[in-house]
Amino acid sequence: MDEYSVGVLTNIGLFSFLALSAYLLLIAGEMSFGQQAFFGVGAYAGGVLTAIYGVPLPLAALAAMASGALAAVLIGLPTLRLRGLYFAMATLAAAEMARILFELLHFQREIGGALVGPDGTQGFRGIRWVFERGVEPLEYLAIVYGLLFIILVAFVRIERSHLGVTLRSIGADPELAASLGVDVNRLKLGVAAAAGALAALGGVLFAHHNTYIEPRNFDIMLGVHSLAYALIGGLGTAFGPLLGVLVDLGLLEGTRVFQGYRMIVFGGLVAVLLVFRPRGLLDERVVHWIHARAFKRP
Amino acid sequence: MAALLEIKDLVTAYGRIEALRGVSLQVEQGSITCLLGPNGAGKTTLMMTTAGILRPRSGSIRFAGSEIAGAAPHRIVERGIALVPENRLVFPHMTVLENLRAGAYQRNDAGGIVTDIDRMFARFPRLKERAAQEGGTLSGGEQQMLSVARALMSRPKLMLMDEPSLGLAPLVVEEIFGIIAELHRDGTTIFLVEQNAHMALRVAHHFYLIEQGRITFSGDPGSLAEDEVIHRAYLGSAKV
Amino acid sequence: MLADLVQNTLDGLTAGAAYALLAVGFTLIFGVLRRVNLSYGAAILFGVYFATWTSLHFQADLLVLALLTIAATVLAGAYVERLCFAPHYPSRGSPRAGASSGSIAAMVASFALWMQFEEAAILALPQHLYAFPPLHTGEPLRFGQFFLRVESLYLLLAAVAVCALLYTILYRTRFGLAVRAVVDVPVAAQLAGINLSSVFVRIFALASAIGGLAGFLIAASHEQVTPMLGMWSTVKGMLAMMLGGLGSLPGAVAGGLVLGLVEAHSQWYFGPQMRDLIAYLLIFVLLALRPAWMTRWTSTRSAS
Repeated sequence: MDEYSVGVLTNIGLFSFLALSAYLLLIAGEMSFGQQAFFGVGAYAGGVLTAIYGVPLPLAALAAMASGALAAVLIGLPTLRLRGLYFAMATLAAAEMARILFELLHFQREIGGALVGPDGTQGFRGIRWVFERGVEPLEYLAIVYGLLFIILVAFVRIERSHLGVTLRSIGADPELAASLGVDVNRLKLGVAAAAGALAALGGVLFAHHNTYIEPRNFDIMLGVHSLAYALIGGLGTAFGPLLGVLVDLGLLEGTRVFQGYRMIVFGGLVAVLLVFRPRGLLDERVVHWIHARAFKRP
Repeated sequence: MAALLEIKDLVTAYGRIEALRGVSLQVEQGSITCLLGPNGAGKTTLMMTTAGILRPRSGSIRFAGSEIAGAAPHRIVERGIALVPENRLVFPHMTVLENLRAGAYQRNDAGGIVTDIDRMFARFPRLKERAAQEGGTLSGGEQQMLSVARALMSRPKLMLMDEPSLGLAPLVVEEIFGIIAELHRDGTTIFLVEQNAHMALRVAHHFYLIEQGRITFSGDPGSLAEDEVIHRAYLGSAKV
Repeated sequence: MLADLVQNTLDGLTAGAAYALLAVGFTLIFGVLRRVNLSYGAAILFGVYFATWTSLHFQADLLVLALLTIAATVLAGAYVERLCFAPHYPSRGSPRAGASSGSIAAMVASFALWMQFEEAAILALPQHLYAFPPLHTGEPLRFGQFFLRVESLYLLLAAVAVCALLYTILYRTRFGLAVRAVVDVPVAAQLAGINLSSVFVRIFALASAIGGLAGFLIAASHEQVTPMLGMWSTVKGMLAMMLGGLGSLPGAVAGGLVLGLVEAHSQWYFGPQMRDLIAYLLIFVLLALRPAWMTRWTSTRSAS
């Protein structure tokens, strides 16, 4: 496989973390325009830990996830009571604040004769932990997809479990869930934290793949895109958001046919698709149909 | 002669739940026809389907000889049907006068509209007093009158009324039914849904009983003992 | 000190007038259709770029350019309305089922068209910056030690004119009565014989026209256009709409002006980055506290 394809596939995997993060919140009934902030938190936290403090990537990744979860709770607590567009705008405002804070962040140390660390709008270069250990692109791809696989398994199991049903019930009708004794607020915060951690994991992997990050990477476009991936792919299953990412990055970028017209084609496809499938490709009905067929009793 | 409104085998569903399971009934021109039944039997669903707010899954609704099932609500108003909905649904943030004007939305005769507004105020003096007040500030009875007046502004041939007495004091209910009798005298055909079987039977020429989405009885007042009607209207005929 | 305060207030009101126009467009669509149109800013970009392209290839005076911008924006808006919103209008038959998934689908579809408009604009005019004919050539007006650019006056007047126009339409025309009825109780409006779809189409056109006007004035007063105009209009318009309380037209105007004032003063004392930070912080805090006036207009209707 050529290097370009490996790069595209890796990006698909990385942005899947972000799409899954948006998807998780959507299931619980909240639409977020701001998951890119946690992607950024993970990227910066992980990058600082490995590049400046020499922390090994696995440990740094865990710390990045923790920071993502913490940031998500910080934003989630004051916005718990918000719904619909109000919540979405609050997340947008919070994410933009995060991005501006990244622009104001100057934290550099001299390592091996050069200045390493975030330098405001100039970005953060030299996140080379992965390269310094001679990890090949293909190996990194395997790591990304390995982690993604574990997460998907977790999603599938949770969907089938009581927790999964409870989450969807909060998303569909929070008042009803509350009247049935569900602690909606606590569950929502938990979901927010998990989504933040998920996005942060994607972010730290992204930072080490690119070796360079800048605040502009984590703008509103990224956030709305990841929300769109989840909604296009379908809200019936965790494979939905992946499908969304695949369609955008994979089909259109990978085939290189629509060079320069990618967004015109993709945009048109999405709008037309949504006319016929308003809940996405893999919506609840399709997933139910697939399950019924795949697990048909003889 | 064919009835003004003919409904045949009407099925309306919410997802998998069928609220109307093949309803057939007729409303004769110039009559007051009444539909009685317990809560959840499908009365409001029937009204909303006839008015075009809900689309039926199958069946036919013929009005003055033309098929109207599935037509858009504004087309149904064009044909001459007006619905006074359950819970009145006045425009709370618009004045009484604006509510009436909204009812006349499809009309182009400015002079006729003014005349009709005066007529409404003559018929409903309390609305005239409150002409510049917002709909949301009116009492329940006044809102009911406003809702009726608004529907009348389109000069309908057929008035659909969904539980006009709901939540109103007995004196007000008497007033409302007095208005219904007046409308009948003026030649408007009325199709009335009610839980208050007692009042309804006093004005109706013909009535139907609907239970669980099906018509279970059709006849004139008097063809069934009143207390049995009331029993079935409130509780249905299922044996406990 | 006082001089700075006054000057910043004047500048803030000018920017605020532009934000107010943008917010009004968003609010018209959100208030009446109950949907968010994410392509609003991008349609404005499309309109402005169309006019820019024209000005680069033909000699056109300002009035023509203004009309072209408005027309192109309305056209783009009609495309969006037909493809993204019309297919998801509240359908009859299942009153509960499609309500919010339809609105989300419409919003995502409008985002997809945002992408289309931006790429189309960049394909037509690939540079990062283009000159746009100026609204006014000449000296700004002087009031003692204060300056008011004439362009600002145009913007402020436009905002006032649009408000007056909207008021007249809403309270003095039959169409306006229908719009207010649809906003108040959509089902009752239908029962009164109002064609919802027709109202939606006309509101969309009106909102697009206002957006086009805003875009033209912004481009002509800055004398330049960049592809960032799409994102910029969208974010500013939505923030201003939020600030004023979702779904309220006077609120949209107030929100726009307040945003402009907050930005102008913040920028003066703290610089451009802090300016944006403070604006976002203000929105976030307001949303977190959620005072009653913010949700007054949507208390009986859902915001999603």
